[in-house]
Amino acid sequence: MSRLVVEPPTPTAPQPVRVGRRRRSRQERLAYLILLPALGTVFVIVTIPFILVLMQSISADDGTLVGLRNFSRALGNPLLYDALRATGVYTLIVLPTEILLGLTFALLVHRTVRRSGVRAAVYVLAIVPLVVPPVAIGVVARLIYAPSYGVLNVILERLGLLHQEINWLGNPTLAMLSVASVDVWQWTPFVYLVLFSGLQTVPRESVEAAQLDGATWWTQFLYIEFSYLRPLFLLILFFRLADVLRVFDHIFILTGGGPGTTTQLLSLYMYRIEFKFFDSGQAAALAVIVLVSISILYALITRVLPLERE
Amino acid sequence: MKRRRTPITFLRIAIAVVGLGTASLLYGFPLYWLVVTSLKSKAELFSSTVHLLPHNPTLAAYSSVLIDRGFWVLLKNSVIVCLSTVVVTLVLGLIITYPITRLQVPVRLRVNILTWALSLRFLPPIAVVIPYFAIVRTLQIYDQPIALIGIYSLFNLPFAIWMLKGFLAEIPLELEEAALVDGANRWTAFWRVLLPLAAPGVMAAGIIIFTFAWSEFLFALILTATPNSQTFPVGVQGLVTQFEIIWNDMAASGVIAMALPLTLMVIGRKYIVAGLTFGVIREK
Repeated sequence: MSRLVVEPPTPTAPQPVRVGRRRRSRQERLAYLILLPALGTVFVIVTIPFILVLMQSISADDGTLVGLRNFSRALGNPLLYDALRATGVYTLIVLPTEILLGLTFALLVHRTVRRSGVRAAVYVLAIVPLVVPPVAIGVVARLIYAPSYGVLNVILERLGLLHQEINWLGNPTLAMLSVASVDVWQWTPFVYLVLFSGLQTVPRESVEAAQLDGATWWTQFLYIEFSYLRPLFLLILFFRLADVLRVFDHIFILTGGGPGTTTQLLSLYMYRIEFKFFDSGQAAALAVIVLVSISILYALITRVLPLERE
Repeated sequence: MKRRRTPITFLRIAIAVVGLGTASLLYGFPLYWLVVTSLKSKAELFSSTVHLLPHNPTLAAYSSVLIDRGFWVLLKNSVIVCLSTVVVTLVLGLIITYPITRLQVPVRLRVNILTWALSLRFLPPIAVVIPYFAIVRTLQIYDQPIALIGIYSLFNLPFAIWMLKGFLAEIPLELEEAALVDGANRWTAFWRVLLPLAAPGVMAAGIIIFTFAWSEFLFALILTATPNSQTFPVGVQGLVTQFEIIWNDMAASGVIAMALPLTLMVIGRKYIVAGLTFGVIREK
């Protein structure tokens, strides 16, 4: 049955039994023999681009070194700050909404749905948005929001809520909300699945004890369930933050960054600099800046992440 | 325990029905609308009234997309690229996870490899697509499926490592050791004992990698130019951003893009969440 459990892996559990020192060193040698070529290749393939982009960032298109000029151009471009603002606004809309909706729905199903059949069905349906290509979701969103053909306007008109067509993708605020709604649609189920599985790990006894003591649904959540969910919130934050920084597909399909640059998030902006303005120096400088910032962010986040570490 | 129908029970069921109903509507309608639009005829697109129910459904848009526009080639490219990616990623993933789960290695090595793999998950593709673009041009594999296969394998590797690690670690070491004592060498023990036992997990990882690769758009957009290597999502994008959108064709292409991942999901559904969270959330 589709019952999930949370099981943070421990680094010590599956360690092989030690059978004397000689055997161990032989195994270790074999391990390195297998690992070195594979990891070496991957490492080289991953590292070469970093070196290349670093070199590109300090040279002009003809290969002459220009020092930090690309960086000053990249940082002096006012469009960069529009892109950063758009990314920030998008993140601030999307992450809290997804976490709040996902949590609400997880609590709702956990508290009100008892039948395992229904729970299993919800599980399967929640997976659907997660495996659908973002490009296809962009197409769906286009069918809903597009001017003159979008079905949302049609429905609102039929319901008598609307007399004049709303241009969902043409107004800066509405365009941002439309684009964000697609993200919320696709990723709230992820939050739901993670938090719902977390709720399954809460020991029944402590919940029953709290209920005997007169806990309401809210205090039960606040004082018991929340403590079990806390590491999962961090996990969600980690994965969703990584995803928000790479959001590209559905915005490219839905608005292409417009109107103007209002929905031009960082990835769309970088795409534009490199592949529309063909300014590879500036694009490389941006890539270096992003990579460095991401590394710092990553280091900060993994400190608190409940993943396998030493 | 016998079920009692108290007012509280009714309230509980009412909340459940309202909650699940709203969610189904919000998720069902957009997908329903995609399918309905894909079944429309060209003539109906230009009629002034929009029918919310299917009205003279036809499969014309599908044949228009796949045959007239030649998108079946893109579909074929997608399958080739994704299958190759799955094979390369799984082989590399097994080579890397076998030693760290089955052999006696320092804990530090394990942890470092896993942490490094995880850090790749945080890498925004747009930041690396710029140098990769240059490399692909230099190697003269621009607009070739091999460029995509290489990059997809690299980007799915962290995920493969974490998932395979989980599956391999669950298989008792004794089984392999028994084979070794019986005189089998490491390779035979791996091939004949470990791999068959790990097969369901390896297959699940393969399915999820396939789904991820199938959805990928940014690299495909940048590293391909012609139907020689363009994948299906690139074709879909072409239908959306062209000057005059043919809505039913666009919808049909969306349905086709979804069909395979949704079918595969039926097989791999138990592992999707484990995959998306790098194995922290596991199904029992």
